[in-house]
Amino acid sequence: MDFNFSDDQQQLRDAVAKWVEKGYGFERRRQIEAAGGFSREAWDELAELGLGGLYIPEDEGGLGMGATEGMVVMEELGRGIVLEPLAQSFIAGAVIAGHADQDTKDSWLPRIAGGQALVVLAHQERKARYRLDVCEATAAKAGTGWTVTGSKGLVPAGDEADAFIVPAKADGKIALFLVERASDGVQARGYGTQDGSRAAEVVIDKAAASLIASDGLPVLEHAVDIGIAASCAEAVGVMDKTLAITVEYMNTRKQFGVAIASFQALRHRVADMKMQLELARSMSYYASLKLNAPAAERRQAAARAKYQLGVSMRFVGQQAVQLHGGIGVTDEYIVSHYFKKLTQLEMTFGDTLHHLGEVSSRMQESAGVFA
Amino acid sequence: MDLSFTPEEQKFREDIRAWVKENLPPEISHKVHNALELTRDDMQRWAKILGKKGWLGYGWPKEFGGPGWTAIEKHLFEEETALAGAPRIVPFGPVMVAPVIQAFGNAEQHKRFLPGIASGEVWWSQGYSEPGSGSDLASIKTKAERKGDKYIVNGQKTWTTLGQYGEWIFCLVRTSSEGKPQTGISFLLIDMKSPGVTVRPIKLLDGSHEVNEVWFDNVEVPAENLIGEENKGWTYAKHLLSHERTNIADVNRAKRELERLKRIAKREGAWDDMRFRDEIAKLEVDVVALEMLVLRVLSASSSGKNPLDIAGLLKIKGSEIQQRYSELMMLAGGAYSLPLIREAMAAGWQGNFPGGHPELAPLASTYFNMRKTTIYGGSNEVQRNIVAQTVLG
Repeated sequence: MDFNFSDDQQQLRDAVAKWVEKGYGFERRRQIEAAGGFSREAWDELAELGLGGLYIPEDEGGLGMGATEGMVVMEELGRGIVLEPLAQSFIAGAVIAGHADQDTKDSWLPRIAGGQALVVLAHQERKARYRLDVCEATAAKAGTGWTVTGSKGLVPAGDEADAFIVPAKADGKIALFLVERASDGVQARGYGTQDGSRAAEVVIDKAAASLIASDGLPVLEHAVDIGIAASCAEAVGVMDKTLAITVEYMNTRKQFGVAIASFQALRHRVADMKMQLELARSMSYYASLKLNAPAAERRQAAARAKYQLGVSMRFVGQQAVQLHGGIGVTDEYIVSHYFKKLTQLEMTFGDTLHHLGEVSSRMQESAGVFA
Repeated sequence: MDLSFTPEEQKFREDIRAWVKENLPPEISHKVHNALELTRDDMQRWAKILGKKGWLGYGWPKEFGGPGWTAIEKHLFEEETALAGAPRIVPFGPVMVAPVIQAFGNAEQHKRFLPGIASGEVWWSQGYSEPGSGSDLASIKTKAERKGDKYIVNGQKTWTTLGQYGEWIFCLVRTSSEGKPQTGISFLLIDMKSPGVTVRPIKLLDGSHEVNEVWFDNVEVPAENLIGEENKGWTYAKHLLSHERTNIADVNRAKRELERLKRIAKREGAWDDMRFRDEIAKLEVDVVALEMLVLRVLSASSSGKNPLDIAGLLKIKGSEIQQRYSELMMLAGGAYSLPLIREAMAAGWQGNFPGGHPELAPLASTYFNMRKTTIYGGSNEVQRNIVAQTVLG
């Protein structure tokens, strides 16, 4: 039982924090948002820090690190509400390194690690809501390979990505494929999203695909759980900073001749925000530390964590805006951007009600951190 | 970062589990698992079994005859005893006053008081709150006047839990009215058999006799019963409050009660209602999150770093969870939680409970009783003040 970070992990945290503070200020973020919500330049900077290859084995060009390091990195990116979807590289690295054939590994992993290739999960379908077992995309054998046909939505930086990891049904069963954006039959229509980042509708029409896993659902679930753990950690960073911004404002802003931090009604709200933050941080640790557990245990932990994080994010985000008063609902002031980020994170990889349903259907006689 | 116990800690847990299985009387664990009334004898019996093993003072260091366990070992002990259905250790002696006597008492006081606490022979009570001093504890008025080698104590304490069984009581008393209220308080140990001490019951909303008023009318207390220095009692009391900070969250009992809630919900059909089951699921997440929070505090304190300053959060969340599971259990029982048949709340009742399940008899009473948890030990509003202070300054 140990919740301390090693010296190496602390150094990693410091390096990412330094980049966020010096290299990813609010003005730069605004410019990236205005330019579409994804910056290849920023992406390259993240890759220079080695972060794209965090989950990729060292002999494939990565850092060969694990869930705790991923968590540390995402917390720091959250603090700066970074727009580039680094968690997608964790997912792509883990899925390809864990399941793809050697050729696919050799051709993609070093490039993902180096930042030259952006590979993202394209699993969201219109009718599935947040369910992973609902999939209308299909795959068919074509010679020695495969083709995939289907539509996927909200694909992170989808029109900037080089390839997609796509679930599609082959012989009635969900399999996972790698589809390159440049392939014939692939169209990506990009747009900005509410938090300022970028996504795309990806329409795939009989495009060439390489099979990653024929029994794809368990791999997709694992991929999403990596995404959940990363989102939870990112959310902790966002909330940490949101609370700090709010506290600073409350100690500065005066009404009735005194700092508004002196009013008990507001102070208790801050105590409740702190409660939500610490419960969230606890469950973020829990999700990351359970990432290598057996599938059922890992899924249960991810659902419990994402439920708690969802509750916490909504509360902290809404109350941060409320405690700021009028300035909280402006675009000019930073807190509304943190609020929007929290809102979008709540709806990524399954929202709060979805995960409540997951927790509910997975309940056993006993419950606890170790059960 | 590691979310697992070491092999040594696992072994420790198994040893505790085996010992508890061997030594916890089944008629006591039956009562605990079904929220039936525990008598003084039940509580004393378990305390003495632990005392004989040297575990009643399970948080004590070796130099005072305790097991000298680490924070994690203490947690594992609490977890194993709670899940097995052991009664909560009545905290006033071994958990509350003993650490104060150990830290601030003299050698003579150690010799005189600690053995009776360690063995479970002597029942202690707490004399803090007064009718006019709840959250504002430093305003206490019970007065101790020094007369030669004695203090003469006059005043009234209240909310004294299980004070009807008390043989000794540790009290905060006013020895000076100069300066700030905090600086005139002393920590005094009083024999409850002394002439002038009167204990009067307070009946609670659930009909239980759990708390009392304790009156002091010219009670003579030998000066050697003063702990530490006169007028320094507030410091000692704060030491007591900071002690066993994870204990107050009572997460292990919450895990046991969550199991019981599921059992009742399944038998009563509430489990089949998805809306009801989702409420249990929310509570389950709360319990896991609280456990993680507790484990974080334990890890911080056992690695010698500053324990996280989240004790107030533990109290708030722990008490809210206690209220919530008692509420959901009552609701799971449905209308059949409502019959008020007091005899059915004691073990061995053979009567015919309406609906046929006497397990439902104590549910509503427990719900009413648990409203105390967000009020005592520093109300949750006071805890929020403390948390806000750490965040906002």
